Amino acid sequence: MNAPVRIQQEDFSQDEEISALKASSSRMGGIATFLGCARDFSAGHSVSEISFEAYGSMALSEMRTLREEAITRFGLLDARIVHRVTTVKAGDNIVFIAAGAEHRAAAFDACRWMIDELKQRVPIWKKEITPQGDAWVTPHP
Amino acid sequence: MIKVLFFGPVAEKIGQREMLLDFTDGMTLHGVTHDIDLRYPGALSIVSFMAVNQQQVRDAQIALNDDDEIALMAKFSGG
Repeated sequence: MNAPVRIQQEDFSQDEEISALKASSSRMGGIATFLGCARDFSAGHSVSEISFEAYGSMALSEMRTLREEAITRFGLLDARIVHRVTTVKAGDNIVFIAAGAEHRAAAFDACRWMIDELKQRVPIWKKEITPQGDAWVTPHP
Repeated sequence: MIKVLFFGPVAEKIGQREMLLDFTDGMTLHGVTHDIDLRYPGALSIVSFMAVNQQQVRDAQIALNDDDEIALMAKFSGG
């Protein structure tokens, strides 16, 4: 089974991630997931591709800490975070987060918290490749 | 030796991803960024986060040790 926190070039399977999450506890009654995927339009212009870069060792360490914090903070039974670092096109998967809890409220809250925190804390950057040129993305909510 | 890492937009401004600096006693993070700023004026203007050995630090006066790894990073935009 794949590690619950990963940075990888290749695509991931949401079904496999959810199956792994469910396998961690038979008390799990609610699973909330977030899938971030690439868009072909951003800030008023077409986007051909998005290229990601990471400070790999620190990013992975931060993501592991984030998962542990979420499990403690929201009383989760388990959580998974997978982020791709590669070049993607419109529709391609970028990031997947899953939170498993006994009940839905904690799962929803934790899932939202993890993606919000990931954007703030994990050293990953994206560059949009457009017909007009390339530009690093300025963070937004 | 101190290794300084640059990523994404900062690497693009500096024109390289890694820089090796000789370690000297009393060296601080501020001293390193000051030195780089002199060599690449304005390039660090987009740096929002600094890390030493993969740990984010906010105090630029932190003392460095030989073989430390520093990262000077722009705002993150993952996800």
